[in-house]
Amino acid sequence: MLKVVNQVGAVVVIRLMKGVIIIFAVLVSFALFGQNNTAVKSDSVKLFKKRVLENAEIDILASFYKQQGKNAAVTGGIGSEELTNLASSINVAIPIGDDGVLTIDATISAYSSASSSNLNPFKQKSTDGDDDDDDDDDDDDKRLASGASSGGSPGDKHKVTANSPWIASSSDAKEDTWYGVNIGYSHSSDDRNTIISTNFSVATEYDYNSLGGSVGIIKLFNKKNTEISFGVDVFFDKWLPQYPAEINHYRDAEGDLESGFFKGTDILDKNGNPIDKTGTIVWQPNTDGIDEDSRNTFALSMSLSQILGRRTQVAVFFDPTLQKGWLANPMQRVYFSDVDNYYIGNPSSVYYYDHPSNTDVFQLADDIERLPATRLKFPIAVRMSHYINEFMILKLYYRYYFDDWGVKSNTINVELPIKVGDNFTLYPNYRFYNQSAAKYFNAYDEALSSSEFYTSDYDLAKFISNQYGLGIKYTDRLTKLHLWKVAFKSISLNYNYYRRNIAFDAHIVSLNIKFIIN
Amino acid sequence: MINKLLILIILTFALSSCMVVKGYEKVNLNDPDMALKDRKSQKYSGKFHSYREGSAGAEGGKSGGGCGCN
Repeated sequence: MLKVVNQVGAVVVIRLMKGVIIIFAVLVSFALFGQNNTAVKSDSVKLFKKRVLENAEIDILASFYKQQGKNAAVTGGIGSEELTNLASSINVAIPIGDDGVLTIDATISAYSSASSSNLNPFKQKSTDGDDDDDDDDDDDDKRLASGASSGGSPGDKHKVTANSPWIASSSDAKEDTWYGVNIGYSHSSDDRNTIISTNFSVATEYDYNSLGGSVGIIKLFNKKNTEISFGVDVFFDKWLPQYPAEINHYRDAEGDLESGFFKGTDILDKNGNPIDKTGTIVWQPNTDGIDEDSRNTFALSMSLSQILGRRTQVAVFFDPTLQKGWLANPMQRVYFSDVDNYYIGNPSSVYYYDHPSNTDVFQLADDIERLPATRLKFPIAVRMSHYINEFMILKLYYRYYFDDWGVKSNTINVELPIKVGDNFTLYPNYRFYNQSAAKYFNAYDEALSSSEFYTSDYDLAKFISNQYGLGIKYTDRLTKLHLWKVAFKSISLNYNYYRRNIAFDAHIVSLNIKFIIN
Repeated sequence: MINKLLILIILTFALSSCMVVKGYEKVNLNDPDMALKDRKSQKYSGKFHSYREGSAGAEGGKSGGGCGCN
């Protein structure tokens, strides 16, 4: 497992590095063009105006994220949640004239996940001794179908073995890369009291594509002591649905457990005994696929910021959001408590299926996660910053959230930036979060087949989490280090440790380097 | 809870008429660490919260969409 993760990590790092270098070169050229263009235009401006953004800025961000847990959603709320993610992005802000700012953000994020790998935990072994990873490959399916129809000579017979939910499989779904590009433009009025902005985004990953856009307006008044903003965000997303392998095979075999993938393979009952596959009581999953592949999001963003004194300012945010479409994840299995359990793999491992020492038996899905086609979310939050003294700032954040799926949550974040000398700042922070369970949530093997909606995704379970973090930032105020027109401005490193009260924890390290184009 | 937040919003509006801080008095408020939003380096931790938790939004950024998560 570790070897697989390391290999994947090396490939991902090389891919990310190549991507970052290419994007960096393109965006620096873009930024320089923007600067030059701005200079020409500025000559013709008669009235002096301070530029909204003096110099083009480039932020390079990178992060490493690692999580582990015991309630993987792809395997029905049980199993390894081990996941590593490497992400990198470049954000460029370019002044356009005196009033405009163009921002371009390009992100590449790659993960390796034990849970996702178990979209297909099966391996087909032919009787001539060859192993064949069953990667949902069409060729495999065609060969199996051909073997079945040829009458099933011994040489065509395949035996299926399985991994457990506790170890990673080598299926295609074990890794994925998310690519996203976001382009925005904002324009300030001459008096700098009105800012309009627009934004366009596109993102793609293994099983999901997204297209987004937004428009917004910010009004400042009361001598810039009060700020009100209003924005509309829309996302038109699309699933490229991937289903659990056994459900795909069951659909291909048209429910005949003596053909295709299932031919020559024992299906075990809860005692580890092979069932009579021609009997009346057999494994019968729900094979209904998703009937709508869109997932659209419409969000309003409203905020009110107010300066309360020379040292204190506060803001209130309210982002009501409506989501419509297929809001469940078709990769995620559900097991019913009122239906018999069936397995493929080592019979002797069935009785300790739910223990991490199980490595070689897998429970066949009863269904995929099913959730309502709409979700209405209401997050409302307050932020406050207070300048304690020249060395210390207090930043507080509180959010209350509720939605029509029954999730309610509270988030509290406290950060205390501490300035150490002229160049360094420390950022100790603490975050508390709790949420109630969605009304459709069921623990592993506890959903009822008679329900309309169900999920065993523990991200929708009731839990409390605590996060502790520390960041450090070095700022070169005079931008002494520079190469050609690119000057180094700051570097910051952050580490956060996140822990739930339900067997889940995560580490995240992130790096941010900022440059200015002179 | 909603009522309390509404009171807070009204209170914030009310306070806006109490005192006006002039531009030259905003030196402390203009400190980059006083910004009423997450630091750029917190982008990824915010993103993982939206993946791993049942709620998101109202953080001064975008909420929902763009990935197969929340």
